[in-house]
Amino acid sequence: MNANIETADVVVVGGGPGGSTTATLLAKRGHRVVLLEKETFPRYQIGESLLPSTVHGIGRMLGVTEELEKASFMVKRGGSFRWGTNPVPWNFLFAVAPELSGPTSYAYQVERMKFDEILLRNAARNGVDVRENVDVKEVIGDDERVRGIRLADGHEIHATFVVDASGNRSRIHQGVRGERIYSDFFQNIALFGYFEGGKRLPAPDSGNILCAAFDEGWMWYIPLSDTLTSVGAVISREHAAKLQGDQEQSLLGFVDRCEIVKDFLSDATRVTEGTYGEIRTRKDYSYTNSTFHRPGMVLVGDAACFIDPVFSTGVHLATYAGLLAARSINTVLAGDLAEDRVFEEFEGRYRREYRVFYEFLSAFYDMQSNEESYFWKARKVTNFNATDLEAFVSLVGGVHSGEQALVQNFRESSGALADAVERTGTMQTESGERMHHLFGTPVVREVMQEMNNIQVRGVQGTAARELPLLEDGLVPAADGLSWVSVGEAK
Amino acid sequence: MTAPLSLERLRSDVAEVLAEEPGSFADDENLIDRGLDSIRLMTLATQWREAGFEAGYLDLAQEPTVAAWWNLLEGKR
Repeated sequence: MNANIETADVVVVGGGPGGSTTATLLAKRGHRVVLLEKETFPRYQIGESLLPSTVHGIGRMLGVTEELEKASFMVKRGGSFRWGTNPVPWNFLFAVAPELSGPTSYAYQVERMKFDEILLRNAARNGVDVRENVDVKEVIGDDERVRGIRLADGHEIHATFVVDASGNRSRIHQGVRGERIYSDFFQNIALFGYFEGGKRLPAPDSGNILCAAFDEGWMWYIPLSDTLTSVGAVISREHAAKLQGDQEQSLLGFVDRCEIVKDFLSDATRVTEGTYGEIRTRKDYSYTNSTFHRPGMVLVGDAACFIDPVFSTGVHLATYAGLLAARSINTVLAGDLAEDRVFEEFEGRYRREYRVFYEFLSAFYDMQSNEESYFWKARKVTNFNATDLEAFVSLVGGVHSGEQALVQNFRESSGALADAVERTGTMQTESGERMHHLFGTPVVREVMQEMNNIQVRGVQGTAARELPLLEDGLVPAADGLSWVSVGEAK
Repeated sequence: MTAPLSLERLRSDVAEVLAEEPGSFADDENLIDRGLDSIRLMTLATQWREAGFEAGYLDLAQEPTVAAWWNLLEGKR
């Protein structure tokens, strides 16, 4: 027996926002948590645009609100889209109306080097044993449950739970014995770099993310400071081979063919030195694991699932799953409810969140009608193969209404969304400042539901009331850090 | 918390989330002018949904007055 064995209540693998969130919310209940991060922070990461529930919900629960304010991140009041039939951008704002611009009406654009480090150092301050530059080799366990992890040097940490928050390229997610299933319709890749001196949308939208569709896909344009902009092209995976060559020429070529981004970058120069000087690619296929849990182990963030970057959901899904995982593990460690019961709640809520965003994504891509374009034709709901759609959606826990009904549902979502976008109209007009039409569509209502709950929780703390989200589901305890049965909530 | 949804309860719940005295605002007064924001609106929507009033946050945001909400509630009965 190797003498090099230590024990903890929970081992968290990965120090990104999902891992830090899980670890911090476990440590707040007094558990011994070891977090193992492969790199040394600060380190580069993509996924720079946040949503309000991360900032105002999770951020407050973690206790980083003031630090985030001090970091002076770019304030984002929503997304601006050159997308669909309107030839000029329209807004999806976080506030339903200008007069209702309370604490939840904005998020941030963040340099992930800074944001992720704030969350990781905060985890350590909350009592998490944070270890960087540590390479986890494998998960150890038996048929009954996962029992810990083994490092590359043979050192073992045994724990009641292992949380895999190690991202999309790590392999330890296989420890839950599931399969990673890819959506047939959103197999995109991203090619991205950084520019100095790009133009800004007029205030108060100057901090918004701009997403602009063009023939070959769409581009993101994220203002990270007054002068620095993150620019990426999301394109079909068929371009992957071409990108092996001159990445700079490829990126500049996409910029050149995307009218509004070309204009915004007309006086800008590409950053060519330092962290932001590199042009990078990432496989942005939408996928989900067939299971997120087995006894003793749970997946969080990109280790579990990923959805196309167009809605800035990466950090949201990771931190939301971190909250759900912490609630579930805290409940089991306290001996309040059985593991299978709480992880049914975990998996049910996490899959629901993924599913509603997947439906929103499908409806959103459907709006960009471009019959000449291979990219857009392949991503139209009407062209979805019903069997493939059914297979993927049933995996994420969708209603089993049959293939044709499912395609019909997605078409209706898409029609309602396109109609709402048309009625909302151009940005910075009287109607374009009001989100009643957009927020009123069934798919957006569903998308907002949990994000709103989390923000109310963050702002109101123990005074927040939550109803069960799932049928016969559990609800959060008063402090929001574990689950209780409905009758036990005060 | 469990009082049935009367006009009186609507007024007192609104007073509570605004941290004001009941009776310090009129039924037809725009509550946004009294400091109602999206979080408080969501809170009210959740409380009332628990009591059987199926209007959501967005319905309440359309016309943020006690009188309008009471009409909405009466319409759903």
